[in-house]
Amino acid sequence: MASQLLPLELVDKCVGSRIWVVMKGDKEFSGTLVGFDDYVNMVLEDVTEYESTGDQVKLKKILLNGNNICMLIPGGDGPGNSMA
Amino acid sequence: MSDPQEASDPSTFLSEIIGAPITVKLNSGVEYKGELSSVDGYMNIALEKTVEYVGGQVRNKYGDVFIRGNNVLYISQDAT
Repeated sequence: MASQLLPLELVDKCVGSRIWVVMKGDKEFSGTLVGFDDYVNMVLEDVTEYESTGDQVKLKKILLNGNNICMLIPGGDGPGNSMA
Repeated sequence: MSDPQEASDPSTFLSEIIGAPITVKLNSGVEYKGELSSVDGYMNIALEKTVEYVGGQVRNKYGDVFIRGNNVLYISQDAT
């Protein structure tokens, strides 16, 4: 059997590339993953925040609290930009 | 030591932005803009010259505030 890729190793592979973060609730973020810690708190750059109202907010660099993160999509660039 | 463009983990980022203008957004949607005086591993935050925004509108101004970390959605470095 091929050696397992642990969940956090998958996240580590995403450092430096675009990811799409889906939070609990309706909120979503996309941005370049700069770094993360064991709680999956994440530093993101060139971020777009997608609010439940449909509004988008651009942010240069943020530390996103891992507490409310539900799912990460490597290579994703936000809702509407994933699968053509 | 390290190039700021290099990979930085959350604690490195936090140490980089001490004293800088930041925006803190809470899970409730309320935002606080101010100068970051300190932050800890719980994301507890001490802010100076704080302006509170509710629904994008200025609601209040405070000299110093303490924000308990469990409410924090993100900490954003303001464009300068």
